[in-house]
Amino acid sequence: MNAWKIAWFEYRRRIRSKWFIIGTFGMPILILAISLGTGYMAGSGAGIETKTFGMIDETSFYGEKLSFVLDKRFAQKETPPFNLAVSNGSFESLQSQFDELVNDKTLDGYFVIPHDFLSRPILRNYSRSSSAFRSSGIIESELKELLIKQKANSLQLSDAVLEEIFFDVDVAHFDIGSAEERETEELIADYIAPFIFMFLLFLGIFTGGQLLLRAVLEERSSRVIEVLLSTVSYNELMGGKILGLGMLGLTQSGIYLIGAFFAGSYYDLSIITPTIGLLYFTYFILGYLLYAGIYIGVGALFDSEQEAQQAIQIITFVAIIPMVLWTIVIENPNSTLVNVLSYVPLVTPFFMMIKIAVGETSLIQVVSTIIVMVVSVCGSIRLAAKVFRTGILLYGKRITLPEIYRWLRA
Amino acid sequence: MIEIKKISKTYDDIVAVADLDMTIQPGRIYGFLGPNGAGKTTAIRMLMNIIIPDSGNILFEGSDQRPPSNQIGYLPEERGLYQKISVFETLQYFAHLRSVTHPNDLIKEYLQRFDLGSRLQSKVSELSKGNQQKLQFINTILHDPQYIVLDEPFSGLDPVNQLLLKEILEELKQAGKTILFSSHQMDQVEKLCDDVALINHGKLVIAGNLKTILQSEGVKRLQVIPTHGEDLSHQCFSAFNSERSNGSVFIEIDGHSKQDIIATLNTAIDLKSVKVAEQGLEDIFIQLVQGAKT
Repeated sequence: MNAWKIAWFEYRRRIRSKWFIIGTFGMPILILAISLGTGYMAGSGAGIETKTFGMIDETSFYGEKLSFVLDKRFAQKETPPFNLAVSNGSFESLQSQFDELVNDKTLDGYFVIPHDFLSRPILRNYSRSSSAFRSSGIIESELKELLIKQKANSLQLSDAVLEEIFFDVDVAHFDIGSAEERETEELIADYIAPFIFMFLLFLGIFTGGQLLLRAVLEERSSRVIEVLLSTVSYNELMGGKILGLGMLGLTQSGIYLIGAFFAGSYYDLSIITPTIGLLYFTYFILGYLLYAGIYIGVGALFDSEQEAQQAIQIITFVAIIPMVLWTIVIENPNSTLVNVLSYVPLVTPFFMMIKIAVGETSLIQVVSTIIVMVVSVCGSIRLAAKVFRTGILLYGKRITLPEIYRWLRA
Repeated sequence: MIEIKKISKTYDDIVAVADLDMTIQPGRIYGFLGPNGAGKTTAIRMLMNIIIPDSGNILFEGSDQRPPSNQIGYLPEERGLYQKISVFETLQYFAHLRSVTHPNDLIKEYLQRFDLGSRLQSKVSELSKGNQQKLQFINTILHDPQYIVLDEPFSGLDPVNQLLLKEILEELKQAGKTILFSSHQMDQVEKLCDDVALINHGKLVIAGNLKTILQSEGVKRLQVIPTHGEDLSHQCFSAFNSERSNGSVFIEIDGHSKQDIIATLNTAIDLKSVKVAEQGLEDIFIQLVQGAKT
């Protein structure tokens, strides 16, 4: 009963705080703004400077042709990635001149098309730094096309034949048993939705965990903990806090899922199904409880938030793994790596949520990962209770790892 | 009544409390004294069930069954308050935890009494140190507990509020509450407490009725003021164990009768006044703690 009172108190005071409201509604807006902003910047070429490369063309043929093709390619761009200054002649005669131009920074680097380029197509690049790395790719692909066309011409193939040879391939996407082609928006939503689920899970679990850490540190540093512990038991206090802040995380997740549901409906996309919703909350609760044990245990060990945050960083780092690997999970949801990682409790909820959203998991996998999580949660909470009980009243004492080990074994 | 029976607590190799025995009677105020690091806080935490003793037990009314939390009020030495919520919410939350039904009127009543009526919606962090201490005291007694444990309750209070606190403690005592009170302010302890216990290095040095302790442990001295100031260093004082202080000479009544001392002095100098001076609790405290060290 006391645990519920504590839970309600924690929930009520946090949900009304301006930081929770700003965080809950501000975070998606911020993420959206960053995504759109970076997308716009990437598209507009903001932050990109046009580089200038020289080109020594020993063939006196491909350089000019390449320059023409590139001019055409970059014609629509406000800021082309690079300009090409072509000089016909031998490398030996022009090398010192080009080196000087690079050294005085007139050029960012230069390329050499050797005289035997048609038979041995190796383009050489000389530059001070790796600034030509990305540009080399563009030059490579354009030169390749020029070479193919040149070889086709030498075989005396007509333009009509060439057009027959060079064509683009498009893929049309259909649902199984459906004759209606899927739209690009739908395909993008299908690809992005698993990431969104994983990200929301991540946000909810770690918001709750961070609040839990702060709540424990606040009570510890203000000594409220002593008054509370003279009134309620350790288990009631810890349970109440976990419950209250978990309810807060659930509220936040609920808001996001409802938002995602309506956003999906607006575009006629069914991102959230009842099964996905149910499994989302199941993995959220299990993931939150696992991390709650860790956060509450760490909170009981430190006097200052700074020290506690440093200690928790290691754990948070592990949880970032799914954020880094999400594209791999979406594209290879049943690879050995993904399947193994799906059973590592610290990242299970995140990997499983992606797999569920992609639709590439089995009932056995869902049930077995839930069992793994339940066992891990029991362990995490049990160990956290031991650390909390012993560490919470040790003010001003630097606690060592052997001491923690001793408490855990007790 | 609270009976503390031979409780001990050791942290690694450090003995915080060793075989502590104390009996706190209802309707009396029990002073719990000791120098810094003596083990008072550990003992109080064990009493509050915050930490479990390694050995010994604590009985409430003869039973080792701990009374419900709404029967206990605890004021820790340092501020035990949430800083970012309002005064009203703080008291409401703890009242709720201690199962006080409809606490709002009671909260307002206490806040009025402690001159905090206008600060109902203020955040705790906005209150002065003294006002936070008052709030903490209200939080300790709001639920009308039978057992009250106060660790340095006068800390940060001005003389007016100290008087108010004393008044309320007297009321609680009259109401038959069992009160344990730890303080470094010996004058407060002397004025308020009926019984005291002194601990040092985790061990009980002395415990019992305050008046009895003052009589048995306090060395009785005669305070002598000569008519002429130059007589303060007269040779006649050397016959006794004496000490000069602030225009007086203090002579220990130790194996001498008061009449004999006065008669001896009278033959040598003119006396302006002679009176019996009892040692206060502070002197006894210092004497016992230093005695325990040597």
